[in-house]
Amino acid sequence: MDDSKENKSQAIIEVIDFGPLKISGNFLLKDLKRGNEESPVEVKLCICGKSGNKPYCDESHKNK
Amino acid sequence: MERNDSQFSGGRRYKNDDITVYWKPSACVHASYCYRELLEVFDPSRRPWVDMNGSTTEKIIEVVNLCPTEALSWKWNDESKNDSVGSDQLNHIKFRRPELMNSNEQETKEQPVSVKIMADGPIVLKGNFTLSYNGTKKEIHDSMISICRCGVSDHMPFCDGQHRKAGFVG
Repeated sequence: MDDSKENKSQAIIEVIDFGPLKISGNFLLKDLKRGNEESPVEVKLCICGKSGNKPYCDESHKNK
Repeated sequence: MERNDSQFSGGRRYKNDDITVYWKPSACVHASYCYRELLEVFDPSRRPWVDMNGSTTEKIIEVVNLCPTEALSWKWNDESKNDSVGSDQLNHIKFRRPELMNSNEQETKEQPVSVKIMADGPIVLKGNFTLSYNGTKKEIHDSMISICRCGVSDHMPFCDGQHRKAGFVG
């Protein structure tokens, strides 16, 4: 039986240097703080803590 | 160890060398014949709950035939034997789930990766995905990782629990 199919990578999760977490592919995003659920093709999530539009990146990481 | 269970669009299937047992969870009414008769094979407290190595093919067929619903059914792996199966074999797929006869049993569409934003905490990723950071790429199979969202972790990009101390809100 072909097991590789079941373990196939479904999404690319990329930690961008000094930037956000970029997720693309087959994924389901659930925001437990705000109660949203969505499955976009791509999303950039804030991982620096500074975004004014959490959980999304708003490029605030570029500000000192 | 070779896995003997897998998911497809019609439920789950379990194989030994001779037969495939199909399980359709939505059809189960918990009549419990399977595990009362053959706990070595059908053990609801175990994952996977069906162990095709737990008994003989003959005994497994006998017990699958006791299932009063289409939750459990079976077929010979040697397809040429399936057409001639007699109606005494109550739960052969020919009688229970004719839609499986000659179907190619497409694998289930792959599960999407679960991305959870924890309240005032990290991003929790679960499933099969490719993680790329600091110039390296890692294939993550069926597991879970937490990515820091507050920016104060000592183990970037991974969460180390410091968001609580830091009073992160977001």
